[in-house]
Amino acid sequence: MWNQGGYSETVMAGGYTQSPGGFASPSLSQGGEKKGRTRASQIVPCTVSQLMSASQADEAFRVGEVEVSQVTIVGIIRSTDKSMTNIQYKVDDMTGAPMDVKQWVDTEDPSVDNTVLPPGTYVKVSGNLRSFQNHRSVVAFSVRPLEDMNEITSHMLEVVQAHMVLSKPQTTSGAGGGMTSSSIPPMSRPTMGSMGGMGGSYAGGSGMANNGLSPNQNQVLCLIRSCPEPQGISIQDLKQRLSGISLAVIKQAVEFLSNEGHIFSTIDEDHYKSTDNDD
Amino acid sequence: MAGILDVPKPRINCSMLSQHINRAVCFVGRVEKVHPTGKTFSVSDGEGNNATVELNEPLEEELSGIVEVIGMVSNKGAIMATTYDVLREDKGTPFDLELYNEAVKLIHDFPQHYPFEVAASG
Repeated sequence: MWNQGGYSETVMAGGYTQSPGGFASPSLSQGGEKKGRTRASQIVPCTVSQLMSASQADEAFRVGEVEVSQVTIVGIIRSTDKSMTNIQYKVDDMTGAPMDVKQWVDTEDPSVDNTVLPPGTYVKVSGNLRSFQNHRSVVAFSVRPLEDMNEITSHMLEVVQAHMVLSKPQTTSGAGGGMTSSSIPPMSRPTMGSMGGMGGSYAGGSGMANNGLSPNQNQVLCLIRSCPEPQGISIQDLKQRLSGISLAVIKQAVEFLSNEGHIFSTIDEDHYKSTDNDD
Repeated sequence: MAGILDVPKPRINCSMLSQHINRAVCFVGRVEKVHPTGKTFSVSDGEGNNATVELNEPLEEELSGIVEVIGMVSNKGAIMATTYDVLREDKGTPFDLELYNEAVKLIHDFPQHYPFEVAASG
């Protein structure tokens, strides 16, 4: 969830004016669906290589996990071709061969600017990805020449950020991609018991673990499980090992785990053992 | 010329030149010194390192500011330019070359999100 929130905040700062509705509320852009699946109601910054490599299922295009329909690309015009009804550009963003961009010309409306931009102009193209007879192109609703070349840099950054955030939350955390779902079960981490410092980054990860326990509860349970002594582990020991968690939170976790039957008290109210121990 | 424009041209800085020998690249930098013959000039990247650009035809006019050079990297690490464009800075905001350099490093750190190749489309 926080992935989507982070995305909409950052993108607002980036100044997308095309689809404000989609960014103002993440729930809108998700179309009301709970999981991280994104609907094609947002405008996604892309590279030409991504658009050319996108897979297609019916009318929907996908760049990896990310569904794309409305896109923006930033590149330099290599050639132009004007006809009565449209202008065709080839836009090169260095990631591959230049992309075909088609912009419809409104001959009736005098307010619409139909000036053809010359080759060598850096532009930001906003439009829809289309495929016709296996040929990919972008049908643009906006082809805007760049005045500030720093937009080249910002587009590079936005492409990476958008695709990172819009990819499935389980596989990328947006903060470096180090946390994957395989690292959630505490049993599989042999160092959990000895490294209290691991707590910080772990808790900041994906939220709920597979067993229905919060990260804090999982850490406490893991430490209790790993204690070989017959009288179990004391709350003071837990506090010492989990330096990143407050005593109050540890006590809360212990109470919860005890109520759920994962642990039981031994010699006194401060010592606990796991109900899953082999011995 | 059409050939090099139709292939991926990874954006690089000076430290990446050696990994792209005999490959097409896109180099953005600040023009430093132009050789009197006009056939070669040096450019600096966002990290302050210099590279040499060699042209087929001598420059016809004074070149300065930020340029985007497309060309092949020679065995000696020079850029044999096919084409170049001047990134205009006359509309107010100067081009932040250091920030561009950070972006270049970023896209190489995340090639899965900024590919410089076209995979087979499904």
